[in-house]
Amino acid sequence: MAEPIYTVASDSETTGEEKTTSTFPEIAVGIDIGTSQCSIAVWNGSQVELLKNTRNQKIMRSYVTFKDETPSGGVSNELSHEYDMLSGAAIFNMKRLIGRVDTDPVVRASKSLPFLVQTLDIGVRPFVAALVNNVWRSTTPEEVLAIFIVELKVMAEYQLKRPIRNVVLTIPVSFSRFQLTRVERACAMAGLQVRLMPEPTAVALLYAQQQQQAVHEGMGSGSEKIALIFNMGAGYCDVAVSAVGGGVSQIRALAGSPIGGEDLLQNTMKYLLPNSESIFSHRGIDEIRRMGLLRVVTQDAIHKLSYQSSVQIDVNLGNGSKLRKVLSREEFEMVNSKVFEKCENLIKQCLHDARVGTEDLSDVVVVGGCSYIPKIRNLLMEISKKKALHEGIDPLEAAVSGAALEGAIASGIGDPFGSLDLLSIQVTPLAIGIRADGNSFIPIIPKNTTMPARKELVFTTVQDNQSEALIVVYEGEETRAEENHLLGYFKIIGIPPAPKGIPEITICMDIDSSNMLRVLAWATLPGGQHPATPYMEVKMPTVDDGHGWCAEALHGKYGATMELVTLRKKG
Amino acid sequence: MASSFFTSFTHSSLRPTAACPSVQRPNPAVVASAAGLRFGRELSVGRSSFYEVLGIPMTASCREIKAAYRKLARTCHPDVVAENSAEEFIKIQAAYLTLSDPDKRADYDREIYKAQLVSVSGLSSRTGVSSYSGYCTRRNWESDQCW
Repeated sequence: MAEPIYTVASDSETTGEEKTTSTFPEIAVGIDIGTSQCSIAVWNGSQVELLKNTRNQKIMRSYVTFKDETPSGGVSNELSHEYDMLSGAAIFNMKRLIGRVDTDPVVRASKSLPFLVQTLDIGVRPFVAALVNNVWRSTTPEEVLAIFIVELKVMAEYQLKRPIRNVVLTIPVSFSRFQLTRVERACAMAGLQVRLMPEPTAVALLYAQQQQQAVHEGMGSGSEKIALIFNMGAGYCDVAVSAVGGGVSQIRALAGSPIGGEDLLQNTMKYLLPNSESIFSHRGIDEIRRMGLLRVVTQDAIHKLSYQSSVQIDVNLGNGSKLRKVLSREEFEMVNSKVFEKCENLIKQCLHDARVGTEDLSDVVVVGGCSYIPKIRNLLMEISKKKALHEGIDPLEAAVSGAALEGAIASGIGDPFGSLDLLSIQVTPLAIGIRADGNSFIPIIPKNTTMPARKELVFTTVQDNQSEALIVVYEGEETRAEENHLLGYFKIIGIPPAPKGIPEITICMDIDSSNMLRVLAWATLPGGQHPATPYMEVKMPTVDDGHGWCAEALHGKYGATMELVTLRKKG
Repeated sequence: MASSFFTSFTHSSLRPTAACPSVQRPNPAVVASAAGLRFGRELSVGRSSFYEVLGIPMTASCREIKAAYRKLARTCHPDVVAENSAEEFIKIQAAYLTLSDPDKRADYDREIYKAQLVSVSGLSSRTGVSSYSGYCTRRNWESDQCW
């Protein structure tokens, strides 16, 4: 598995002679690959600058089309029309598919997309294919992502006239460590060292820089500010609470969920054409085309509803089926009430986890494609009891700008005006723990723990003279172990013989500064200083495919013979 | 050798059972000797209070604590210092977690006061430090999920 080690290569890789002549230090670029749109930015020596493609676009579409000999993505490829993307030959929404198994509801919701997402509902990766000349050609989300990243890399190398080796890539808060390894693999395929940064924390860093600048210019007070960051794009909704002061963005809590504009779009499509799913289940070429038509018209209507109270929909779907309807903003909000409810819960949960009351909030920053939706803006103003949301941060450029800032900071370059005297202190977005006490998930590093982190808990045996124990590591927030993401498993052996409940089995989890997770385990008897056997140290995740049935199989084979319970120490 | 040993041990002793092999991994002998010496004299030498960790007086205001934390983070966070400074930052973070919470800080202050009383009243300083160490261990665990 590719190790997420982030290095700044310039010093170690250049010889002393080159160093003296080198005028341009290697600066990591920032990349934001959204479910629907993407962008790339770099610190240009005085500020963050978004790079434009040959068509002068800063914000490009995230898709890869397989219709030509070599696949091409939204960076270089030009769509003759929006429908081009919906012919089945293009793969998009890869961010919603990467590292997910076919039992995942997000994968199932992707089955109505024009390209093929085939599921067998057994917990393995879905089969993804693009339609080329009447053939479904298979690919994988990692491959699509890698093709896309290569395009961005080539574009940036051409414009910056230097090789790009390091990137800071933004990721959703809700991504599991397993998903992160898939993203890292895609970056490795593209020849890049990557540092991953949750999207709202990138926005928080940008906000910290703005506050710092205000202080330098004598505008700000310099006192600590608590900001609520809300970032909702096409695929994910993320929330962060950050305490910002003195150029430090200290993340206090994170919350995220795979809900976004795509869900709003699909719900609205179903509302406009209630039998759409049955119509499109066969995936003939005609049906794919009709689905594309409906998608484009619905997307357009949703955009318009951000600025007007109702929209006229008039589209000929072919085969004599026509759709003519006036869609009001109220209807749109009603159809999507569950999505908005979920957003509300995420915000409230994040504020609660950060132990922040609305009166403590200095600013509410709303970014992402969905930030234009009136319902979202109202929701945030209502919850935060604010009359206005923070301005001065571009909703579509915030995440990538923050990533570019982080790239510049991590590259160790200085700025004479202090614009880079910044630091982002991150927390764990999900709890990490093991299965114990029956089928419970026992967190060892809780959610929202500042990183780097090291924590340990002591467990004990459930059988007399139990010599081995199975350590099954999960990540998530659910109380039942198997409802969380499986990261890996190993066996600790050589537990000293003793009645059940006596041996002390210590599980230590360590997240280092490069976000690498190590799980350490050792067994001792009470009062004993040295473990009887060598320490176990396992880098996680070890599972190569996200199938939860590994854990099921282990449980089926070993039952309770190798279980653990948390040790309640006396006194 | 001795000084580097104490440094690394002081860091790791912030956690419950002290010996985390990832820290001392380069030298297994250190793990063993650290565990053996756990209740020995180096505790009184090596441990510094949370106030000392943040470099602030016990009378520091909440604002001063935050400012000190941010200043230290800016110099000790692994993102700033390329060398392995995770240990150092974890220690700063633990101190900040306790001192930035008024309730936890009050508890902590009481413990320090008690420990001082014990050593002043002529009991062996070793006992005093041990009970303080036990307290400190527990405190770290409870502060895990809190801000």
